Parts: sequence; C-alpha cells; structure tokens
Amino acid sequence: MIDTLLSVFRISVKAIFANKMRSALTSLGIVIGVAAVITMLAVGSGTQQSMSERFSRFGTNILYLRQPWDLDESISSPKDVTMDDVRAIRRLPGVEAAAPYISSGFEVKYGYTSTSIDVLATDTDIFKTYDWEIEKGREFTEREVDDYAQVAVLGATAAQTIFNDVDAVGKTVIFDNIPFKVVGVMKKNGQGGMGFDMDEGTLIPYTTGKVKMNTGWNKSDRRALDRVIIRVKDFNTIEETKEEIANTVRNTHKIHPLAEDDFQLDDFASFVEEAKAASKTMGILLGVIGAVSLLVGGIGVMNIMLVSVTERTREIGIRMAIGATSADIRLQFLVEAVTLSCFGGLIGVLIGIVATLVVAANSTSIPAQLSIPSIFIAFGFSAATGIFFGYYPAYKASKLTPIDALRYE
Amino acid sequence: MSLIETTNLYKTYVVGDVEVHALQGVSISIERGEFVAVMGPSGSGKSTFMNILGCLDKPTQGKYILDGIDVTATDLSKLAGVRNRKIGFVFQGFNLISRTTAVENVELPMVYNHTPSHLRREKALEALKAVGLEQRAFHMPNQLSGGQQQRVAIARSLVCDAPIIFADEPTGNLDTKMSIEVMDLFTRLNKEMGKTIILITHEPDIAQYAGRLITFRDGQKVSDEVKK
Repeated sequence: MIDTLLSVFRISVKAIFANKMRSALTSLGIVIGVAAVITMLAVGSGTQQSMSERFSRFGTNILYLRQPWDLDESISSPKDVTMDDVRAIRRLPGVEAAAPYISSGFEVKYGYTSTSIDVLATDTDIFKTYDWEIEKGREFTEREVDDYAQVAVLGATAAQTIFNDVDAVGKTVIFDNIPFKVVGVMKKNGQGGMGFDMDEGTLIPYTTGKVKMNTGWNKSDRRALDRVIIRVKDFNTIEETKEEIANTVRNTHKIHPLAEDDFQLDDFASFVEEAKAASKTMGILLGVIGAVSLLVGGIGVMNIMLVSVTERTREIGIRMAIGATSADIRLQFLVEAVTLSCFGGLIGVLIGIVATLVVAANSTSIPAQLSIPSIFIAFGFSAATGIFFGYYPAYKASKLTPIDALRYE
Repeated sequence: MSLIETTNLYKTYVVGDVEVHALQGVSISIERGEFVAVMGPSGSGKSTFMNILGCLDKPTQGKYILDGIDVTATDLSKLAGVRNRKIGFVFQGFNLISRTTAVENVELPMVYNHTPSHLRREKALEALKAVGLEQRAFHMPNQLSGGQQQRVAIARSLVCDAPIIFADEPTGNLDTKMSIEVMDLFTRLNKEMGKTIILITHEPDIAQYAGRLITFRDGQKVSDEVKK
C-alpha cells in the first residue's frame, strides 16, 4: 500500500514538475493563503502576548478614576476630578498610592534641538503607582511639588533624543517657553502606561503645570485633573477597595444617594476585555481572509486538474489498458492535486515564517510571535483544499472508459 | 479448453440516430501458443473485435471466455485486473508515458498489481533484456527510436507474465527495417516463450509472420486459415 502510494506520489511530482510555470501559478493562491494565515496568526498572538505583558508590567492592582467621556445626560452638572478626590482617596486603608494625572503634548527645546514630547503633570505618588525606575539623578520631591518647582524627570528615549549622549541631569530644557531643570532620567522600561509612554515622555509636578503653563491643558479649571491613577494594596480585595473609592468620590462630589456616579472607575479587567474582543475580531478577520484565499487557490487547483485530466486522457487510457482500475486513476489525480496544494502550502509556510521574522525584526509596534500549531493548521488546510477541490477532477478521470480514453486525440 | 473462445459476438454502436453494426456474430477460438494475424479493411470490425478481446470494451451480445473467465459476465470495472494479468498490449503509437524512463514504463503494470518496488525494478530490467534494450533502460521515450520505443512497449507487455499479447498495428509507424526487427521479436516471443500473439495489421507482409490468418469484412469473419 505504502509502496503504491509512493509510486503514485513520484508520478505526481513528475507531472507537477513537467509544467513548472503552470504548477507554480496554480499553487500561488494557496501560497498566499497559507502565508497570510501564518503571518497574521503570528501577529495576532504576538499582539496578545505583548498586551498581556504590558498589563502585567502595569500591575493588575492599578485603578483609573476619570470623568466619563460619554456623560449620561441625566447628570446635569458633573464635578471635575480634582486634588480633593486624590487626597480623600489617599486616606483609604486599601489604597497604596494615588497620583494626579494630566497629560499633553508640548514642544521641548534644548540648545538648537527642538522636538515634541508628552508631558505628564503629576506628583510624587506617581513613583509609587507605576514600576518606573530612575536611571540617573532622582525623582522630584514633595517639597518641589508644593513649591511649584520647574523640575522634570525625563524618559530614557526622550533624554536620548534631546541630549544625545550628553548627561541630561542638571541641564535646563524649555517646555512651552518655561525653563525646567532636569533632575532625573528614567530607566528604559519598554511599553509604558495607558496613553502615556514614559520612555518618550517627561514628568513634571502638577502644580507647576497647572499654574505656570498656560497652553495645552484641556481644562480651564485649574484644579481639574485628567484622571487619577490609584494603586491598591491587595489585588484580592480590589473589588472592595473599588467600592470604597467610589463611595469616597461620591462623597467629595456630594452626589445624592439616588443619583448616578458622575465619574468612572476602571480597572484592568475592562481593558483586558476590550483587548480580548479586539483580538477576537482580528481572529475572525484572519479566518475570513485565509478561507477566501484558500477557496480561490482551491478553485485554481481544480481548474488546472481538469485541464490536466483532459490533456492526459490518452495517458489515462494507457494506464487503464495495462491494469489501472478506476480507483487507481482516481487516487493518482487526487494525490496529484494534494501534492500540488501541499507544495503551495509548504512554500506558503516558508514565506509566512520569513515574513513573520521580518516583521518581528523590523517593527517594535507590531509584535509577531510564530506559533507552531498555526503552521500545522495552515498547512493542514492547504492539504484539505487539495482533497476537496481535487476530488471532482479525479472522479471525472476515473469515469473514463479505457477505450474512449485510448482513442482520445 | 481454448485460451480465447468467443461465441456469436455482436457489437452495435448508436451514432446519433444511426445504428452501426460493427460486429455481427463472430465466433472464434484461439489456442494457447498461437500466433494469429487479423486483417481486413478499415471499418471491417477488426478493431472492435480486438478491443473486445482485449477487455477494453464489451460486446452488445454474445459470449467471450478468456482463459476460463467469462468476460461478458464481468463488470467492466473489474476487468482492469484481467487485463493486467492476462493481456499485454502493444499499440501502433507505442503509447509510452512521456517524461518517464523506459524501465519505469515497463514497471508500470506492476505498480497496478502491487508488486513490491525492488521486485518491479528487477523484473522490468529482465524484460528489457529480453527485447535487447537493457542498455537503454534509463532513457526517456523521446530519446529512443521508433523501433526501440516499440520494443519498450513489448517489454511492458511481457512484464506481468501475461499469456497473451495483443498488438494493434505494431509496425504502422515503423520503417521496414524496424518492422522486421519488431516482427522477429514477436516470432521469438511466440516460439521461445510460448506467448499467444494476436496481431492486427493491414500489411500482408506483416501478416506473413503469423501462423494463422483471420480476415474480417463488414463485421463478420470471412476467412480463417492456418498456414501449413
């Protein structure tokens, strides 16, 4: 049996290589389909991987307090999130730290260098919420926050961009026409916060930002914050702590017991849900793309196999005359179709792997992670395509009668 | 019992509205080891007769017993095995598979009866030796002369030890010298290996090689003479 299959396979390879160009063009659809599936699955699983890495770097015991972006109309006069909220939250036993958060883009100047930078105005609690570490110099102090000091802690990439290889600590940079003294530079930490990348940005005291910088901040109220970053002490009691925080904020906002919250408190679960939903959508999209290209590729295989059956009618006649049964002929053409599509599948796998490696090597924003099962799945689908679309031509060949096939000119 | 025994074979084709009576009651028996030539003008029914004898086609009516097998009662799809074991075919146009070496062409019938591959090669080379082509075993058909290609086809017809060789105009595409070579080979296979050879031809010179001459006309056997 294996012996027979082997001979049949050898004949198929010969037939495929006899028409190199035709075979190559035919399998192209499958090549593209398989390569696309592998690459995209790799990007998909890489994205998921990097997302979960990012979440774990943030720590799961981080909460965000902010005013909702889509405010319920029933809330007539929502109160801003302010330092009063921050101070109240800090007093809660379950809270480790709570930092104000106001961010905006500014132009930064140093000497002749001018570039744009994300500025996060905050206070010393920020260093207790995120796991950012100082590389050189120091964090800014509570005293500096209270004194409206013009000091800044730069992200690693930002420092590199502005100062090149010069030591940034002690130098003065200009944000929005106001000079700031660089007191520290952060360690590079890879992917940063939600909407704020520490590597590319800078930290300044929120007092300085609110009082001395006129442009860029999106709230006219000097006390308003974009959000509050809260670190809870214990992840296991995060729900209870969340409850306490909500009650505290309702209290400072003086919300009537029956009225809705005028703020929103997010934890990472909601971000994870969103990310999961996004990657599921992406998965469906990939499935559709893969299915469509394999379908088109399969039709190509079927088409060329029908041509091949017609071209080789006489050969079929000879084979039947010397003892091939209908089943032998059917097997022959089926193996040929499967070989052709697997050949495409194999090339597709190689291209997919190379494409994944190229993407992984050249792009930091699109992480790609090759998964072995996805390779087997994609290859398996190419083989299944061959069987599905090769069956009809093979059946047609097997239905020829030897005498008609032999007489065929 | 005769190797081939046909009783009252009829074959009728329907072409459009017209019925063509290709065979009209042919009864023949051929013994093991005979060398028979079948002659007749085109349209005489000799090719139809040969196709039926070769189990490539079935008669409309009548009975055909081949080496004890009732072919007329056997399903056409089951006849592949009968062709494989009992019959070797040699065609006018050689009918070798292109882009496939001589020895692989000769091996092909054994692929279909599931002979193990190492035995296949051995037997195929033996058969090529029997037709004097062992030196050309790994040539492609298009690298061989017409006569050589026909000898490869003959080797293919021998390789399964089938008792019968059907040769349909085997010299039709060959020049005189090659024709003589091929016919000498058939004679030798008949005499030395005891193969039963049934040959269709329209050339009287070629028919001379046979020991028995059957002539067809209008779907009927008109003469059947054994050479003294």
